[in-house]
Amino acid sequence: MTAQDALSPSQEDYLEAILLVQRDQTVARARDLVERLGVSSSSVTGALQALAAKDLINYAPYSFVTLTPEGERAAEYIAVRHETLKRFLAHVLGVGAEEADESACRLEHAIPADILDRLTRFVEFIESRPKGGPDWLAEFRHYCDGFGAPEEREPVDDATAGQPACLRDLSPGDQARVVRVTGRRSSTKRLVGMGLVPGAELRVERVAPLGDPIEISVRGNHLSFRREEAEEIAVELVARGQRRRWRGSRR
Amino acid sequence: MCVALAGNPNSGKTTIFNNLTGARHHVGNYPGVTVERREGVYQHKGLRVATVDLPGTYSLAAYSIDEVIARDFIVGQRPDVVVAVVDATNLERHLYLTVEILELGAAVVLALNMSDEAEAGGLRIDSERLSHLLGVSVVRTVGNRGKGTEELRAAVNETALRGAVPEPLRVDYGAAVEAAVSELEALAETVGDARLRFGVRWLALKRLEQDDEVTQWFEGGGVGPQAERVTAELEATLGDTPEAAIAQRRYEHIHRVCGQVLDGSHHAARTPSDRIDRIVSHRILGLPIFLALMYGVFQLVFTLGEVPMGWIESGVHSLGVMLSGLWPAGADSPLRSLVIDGIVSGVGGVIVFVPNIALLFLAIALLENSGYMARAAFIMDGFMHRLGLHGKSFIPLLTGFGCTVPAIMATRTLGNTRDRLITMLVAPLMSCGARLPIYALIIPAFFPEQWRGPMLWLIYVIGIALAVLCSKLLGTTLFRGSAAPFIMELPPYRVPTACSVALHVWERAGLYLRKAGTIILGASILVWACTSYPKPPAGDTADGEAAAAYSIAGRVGHAMEPVLRPIGFDWRVGTSLLGAFAAKEVFVAQMGIVFSLGDADGHTEALRARLRHVYTPLQGFCIMLFCLIGSPCMATLATTRRETDSWWWPLFQTGALTALAYLVTLVVYQAGMTLGVGVG
Repeated sequence: MTAQDALSPSQEDYLEAILLVQRDQTVARARDLVERLGVSSSSVTGALQALAAKDLINYAPYSFVTLTPEGERAAEYIAVRHETLKRFLAHVLGVGAEEADESACRLEHAIPADILDRLTRFVEFIESRPKGGPDWLAEFRHYCDGFGAPEEREPVDDATAGQPACLRDLSPGDQARVVRVTGRRSSTKRLVGMGLVPGAELRVERVAPLGDPIEISVRGNHLSFRREEAEEIAVELVARGQRRRWRGSRR
Repeated sequence: MCVALAGNPNSGKTTIFNNLTGARHHVGNYPGVTVERREGVYQHKGLRVATVDLPGTYSLAAYSIDEVIARDFIVGQRPDVVVAVVDATNLERHLYLTVEILELGAAVVLALNMSDEAEAGGLRIDSERLSHLLGVSVVRTVGNRGKGTEELRAAVNETALRGAVPEPLRVDYGAAVEAAVSELEALAETVGDARLRFGVRWLALKRLEQDDEVTQWFEGGGVGPQAERVTAELEATLGDTPEAAIAQRRYEHIHRVCGQVLDGSHHAARTPSDRIDRIVSHRILGLPIFLALMYGVFQLVFTLGEVPMGWIESGVHSLGVMLSGLWPAGADSPLRSLVIDGIVSGVGGVIVFVPNIALLFLAIALLENSGYMARAAFIMDGFMHRLGLHGKSFIPLLTGFGCTVPAIMATRTLGNTRDRLITMLVAPLMSCGARLPIYALIIPAFFPEQWRGPMLWLIYVIGIALAVLCSKLLGTTLFRGSAAPFIMELPPYRVPTACSVALHVWERAGLYLRKAGTIILGASILVWACTSYPKPPAGDTADGEAAAAYSIAGRVGHAMEPVLRPIGFDWRVGTSLLGAFAAKEVFVAQMGIVFSLGDADGHTEALRARLRHVYTPLQGFCIMLFCLIGSPCMATLATTRRETDSWWWPLFQTGALTALAYLVTLVVYQAGMTLGVGVG
């Protein structure tokens, strides 16, 4: 693949585009590429000449463009790479389809072949595991949903992670996971029914003026309750809240 | 055919109900409780469908009266279809109730509400997959825009026609729990209750969750101890309470379902809400913002309301004049007196409140529908709780400073019966606007200029202090035990739709007019009769005082004198207080009549002079105290009766407040007399 190694990102895009156009309509013209890639005809001419010089395409000015066998191999590889990245972003990370496509376009040029290979296998692995598979992916995505955009999450503090605590004692910014429900007061049962089951992850959003009641987010919902009502819910800390400047999170 | 709507509060259930039934619905109370009952009717393909909007609940666990009613309705009344309304942007939590309903074995149609918001936020829901996984029809709705209503009716029709009682949903609760469930099912079957309304599996699960009603059922069936043993063993095995384990499994089941049905994520709704909350619910800023908003609401209701109130007042007056003209001038017809002094002024006195009430409910509807009300309760609860009240009691009590009637109506926002009743009972202690004329009469009569402001302030503060004391007292005696939890969801902020707000206001104002109006009409006539009859024999000097003394009210006043003396009152005050029962402002008018000054309006100074002549400052103060605390007006009584759907509470309210007034005034008067304060 030495010829391919020497290709610039934009040349790779051209090859990919030619392949796609060919699939749609058998032969490609220069102006199809102008449309698809959004570049000027002079750029197209220059690129096509360079590709022809590398024996990847058959081209003569003002005529059709077709891929040589070697060109076809290269283009197919590029397309597969794009698809894999797109699958990874869309199916595994749960990013929206359009965003995935755009990001894949940018990422694909930076990925060396062996890493791509691994990534492909990873995606296949994830998608096919019987115990993982779609369920596992869904869980991962829900986990992502639980706490909003990544930059809002404080880093997991090894010193505090796993520390047992009671829900009533938490402070704004603390993140915790419900461990046990130790009693059966009606307020406890109600909290459990609203999502504070063992295993649920929550974050303390804020407190009221007198420090009581507190507001937490769990499963994307915001709940508020008095501290005394949370007595019977034992949690373990995942991260402690950092002191925030009142203008907002650290940026 | 009968259809019930169930769902979380904030799921948009009521909007869907309104969409289905149009204006053809009726709001009442469930018998004997303060829970609202909404039912209506719609037509679909020639079929008449009775619809009931069940109280919004988070689960069927029956910790509060709302949940008990919802559960009993679904199982007892066996509606043909239950429409479970869920918020598509919050599917996991909302499906919890749906799953419980499915476990009950009801025929369900799922209304995926707010589906537009979900899509706008980037969430895609595979409704077909969802339908398949849950075994129910799924209809996408957008309640705010009325979309999906027709499809919902069709789905309901189809589900009802299918007829067969569906197999209740089975969630796998894990080996340990399932074993316990089987044991309990066997026990339940031995009870052999012919009235078995619930399936045995459901009964077993609820027993494990320590549900009160079901536990009693097991006990009643003679298998209480065995059931207890099974539950205790399960708890020992799990290390967790069974109800937590069961809830956990339910959520896991829902989670798996959602995983296969949801695509994309939904951050959109929360982030703007979060940004607003950072300021509005801020630990330090939140309170001032809330107070400023409340001030704004107050201004809106009582200042803006002045204008239409003025129109109505003059309208009523004109009506009186016009009707008066129907009789020959100078005629002293009792009928005319009845119509004008009794009916027109009595009913007019009620109608004049309507702008106030409409504006108040407009404000409340806006605050509630936008989601701000929950934040207000969150901010205020810390303070209120220490006073023995609930965060949500703040707004009704604040409203009471204007008028007690809308304050009592505003307690509807309190979901919990106990808090609601306590708030309703103490609301009259918030010195209302109608008492101001009394204070305005008495304070300048007895107190030098620099004392007047502080005196007024003192009266208000005494009212508030007593309200706090009474609510604490009520909390520990009559309403002991079930201290209402504060647990509350904070929904994302939404823009209230003009339609739902308008409908809400229309409903409340209409209710007020209808119910309070009928009672007040009757009472007005009664009071008028008591204060006008019997008239002194013709020929006697038309002396106001003597005429007043001759009437029933006057005689009662005289008869009460022995009781009134210890608190410093005489028969004149007693008579005026009786008149004040109709409306507090009447007190001043009656005093004028009793002191032979005719219509007291233009004669305030003269009246004050007479008062100064007859009473001491101490007595003046005691009169104000009594008016503050005791004998809530007729409108209050009527409204309490309407809101509690019983006669016991309003009677208790009146009796207790009057007794309290007597007691406090007694103590103050006697102490004052003994210490020689204010008797000069």
